[in-house]
Amino acid sequence: MSDQNQMIETSRNSERPESHFLKEFDLLVENAAGGTAWIEHRHQAVKAFSSLGFPTKKTESYKYTPITKRVKSTLSNAVESEMRTSNRAFGDVSGIHLDTSNGVLSTGPLATSLPKGLTITTLQEEAKRENGVLHEHLSGAIVLDRDPFSALAAALTEDGILIHVATGAHIEQPIVIHHDRIAAAGFVQSRFLIVADAGSTLRIIEHFGHLDAGSAFENRVTEIIVGEGANLDHVLVYERSEEATFVNALFVEQGEGSIFKTNNITIGGGVVRNNLNFLPNAENCETHLNGLYIARGASHVDNHTLVDHAKPNCYSNELFKGIVADTATGVFNGKVLVRQDAQKTNAYQSSKSILLDRRARIFAKPELVIYADDVKCSHGATTGELDDEALFYLRSRGLRPDAARLLLLEAFARDVIDLVEVEDMREYLYDRLHQLLTNE
Amino acid sequence: MLSVKNLHVSIEEEGTKILRGINLTVNAGEVHAIMGPNGSGKSTLASVLAGKDGYSIDEGSVSFDGADLLEMAADERAREGLFLAFQYPVELPGVSTANFLKQAVKSVREHRGLDELSAGDFLKMMKEKAELVLLDPSLKSRSVNEGFSGGEKKRNEIFQLAMLDPKLAILDETDSGLDIDALRIVADGVNTLRNPDRSFVIITHYQRLLEFIVPDFVHVLLEGRIVLSGGKELALELEEKGYDWIKETHAQLT
Ligand SMILES: Nc1ncnc2c1ncn2[C@@H]1O[C@H](COP(=O)(O)OP(=O)(O)OP(=O)(O)O)[C@@H](O)[C@H]1O
Ligand SMILES: [Mg+2]
Repeated sequence: MSDQNQMIETSRNSERPESHFLKEFDLLVENAAGGTAWIEHRHQAVKAFSSLGFPTKKTESYKYTPITKRVKSTLSNAVESEMRTSNRAFGDVSGIHLDTSNGVLSTGPLATSLPKGLTITTLQEEAKRENGVLHEHLSGAIVLDRDPFSALAAALTEDGILIHVATGAHIEQPIVIHHDRIAAAGFVQSRFLIVADAGSTLRIIEHFGHLDAGSAFENRVTEIIVGEGANLDHVLVYERSEEATFVNALFVEQGEGSIFKTNNITIGGGVVRNNLNFLPNAENCETHLNGLYIARGASHVDNHTLVDHAKPNCYSNELFKGIVADTATGVFNGKVLVRQDAQKTNAYQSSKSILLDRRARIFAKPELVIYADDVKCSHGATTGELDDEALFYLRSRGLRPDAARLLLLEAFARDVIDLVEVEDMREYLYDRLHQLLTNE
Repeated sequence: MLSVKNLHVSIEEEGTKILRGINLTVNAGEVHAIMGPNGSGKSTLASVLAGKDGYSIDEGSVSFDGADLLEMAADERAREGLFLAFQYPVELPGVSTANFLKQAVKSVREHRGLDELSAGDFLKMMKEKAELVLLDPSLKSRSVNEGFSGGEKKRNEIFQLAMLDPKLAILDETDSGLDIDALRIVADGVNTLRNPDRSFVIITHYQRLLEFIVPDFVHVLLEGRIVLSGGKELALELEEKGYDWIKETHAQLT
């Protein structure tokens, strides 16, 4: 028996999926552009990736999420194809609209007709500017040894999107990014850098629409630098198809007195893993982290969040809600870390999920680690079915069980959607929610 | 209208017997008061009639307007015209009162063969019925019962009663939590809703409510049985003497 095991082991080793990417890196880096610092960082990233390797069954942080299986199946089934979304959304939202292809701006750098103080460009373009934003900030927030996927995206990505708001600029209109096109064989690695300088304001909306055919594995790293007193609002709506995989890393660094708010809405995809990292590394920061996911069919949605309070007088509030139906799986792992220096921290976390079917599963693990003594922190996680008392109340007023359930589920999920500040988006999301919950 | 015969009910999970042979007949247009000490089974009776899960019916029958009530699902009972004003109304965060009531009224009217109300007529009706219990208009734009005061929740129950136009309304301690003025307002509301076709079962601890809503009958529920029935004077007597004397006579009898 042990012989046989050995054999399987060796044959597995010989086709370790990591080697595919290491080879790809070697090929890419030969002609890499963007300046020595960036290229050096890519070398570090590939090293981090190589030593971390893809998660195995023993990897605690991916215990419930069979992501490596997805990597392998993408590697073996990848065919070059072009995919477009069939449900372009938020087209009517008044704002600055951008399209991407493989996670890169398909329009190229935008120079004209942007409000003063706003730059939207590609990472490569920005890299040409000697004292540009890229050289100061790219790779500043990412923590390479935290996760193999972030490291991999940082290593392999050749180009990406850069959005920069200059000091004091208030950009009234939201930037709406339509991730509507993918043309690749299997993997799409991408990077996104957002820099809001001191006192600026900006709102960014991202939509990952449904792809009708083919499977895409998108692995992305976004770094967001929120300057002193700046205010940044980020909403991401992901609704790709069941064949799609998404590993989405977000690293947010905040300056003093800044406000950052993100709303992460996952209402599609086959396997989705959000790695959301918040580092309010200065005093008086405000961080709002809201999330909603609806997992149906056989899909798997995994939200990993870390709020790392290192400085005093900060406030963070995290609200995650999930509805898991059919044979789908939801995972929530939220860690709030309050370091010793971070006195007078107010940190709140709440995760609530509802299971709709017997075979649906949820794994929730809230973690609160506090080293400072003068703080206000709370966390709570509930997983359950719909409240029987509430259902009975509605039914006692004549509502049929289905209608009563729908009303409660919508109310449950709307709570998060209500926190999206753009009205057109809220309306869209309410509609989508209703469709998803009624299987329309 | 309602006929409860020898109803025995226990808690499904633990098997604890709560109701031990209830007999109660309520004819159209009558108002019955049910009084009795804490834990005697009043709310259980109300819940069982309204169709709440978790009880096992061990014996007995209930007919409502000639049909077997116990065979109907909770929502069906409501559509058939049974209404329960809860002792502890549930808060429904995120469920808008207007949307909820629109659906409730629609399903009830559909069932009764009435036309769907236009949006305008529905709003008019909401306004009219809310005025009946002087419900603060702002409450209608909030989530159902969320953050309502105790008294506001009770008014909201009677407001819903008025909206759904039931044949039989069971009021479970609607008076507790109401201040003296509110008590009068809610009672006036209920009196306005009294008519020869609509019956009420009013569960209360206090004779005070029965001064405003004068009952045709008063029943005493004790340890799961109706042990004494009488006219409206019985409520006065209970207020004066408490339940001990009934407990004693009842103990002697059994
Ligand atoms: N779900 C349940 N599980 C266990 N016991 C229950 C349950 N529901 C009711 N009971 C018990 O049944 C008894 C009757 O309760 P019920 O609520 O009907 O009393 P009540 O007459 O309405 O009292 P009150 O005047 O205090 O409202 C009580 O002893 C109560 O604890
Ligand atoms: Mg009671």
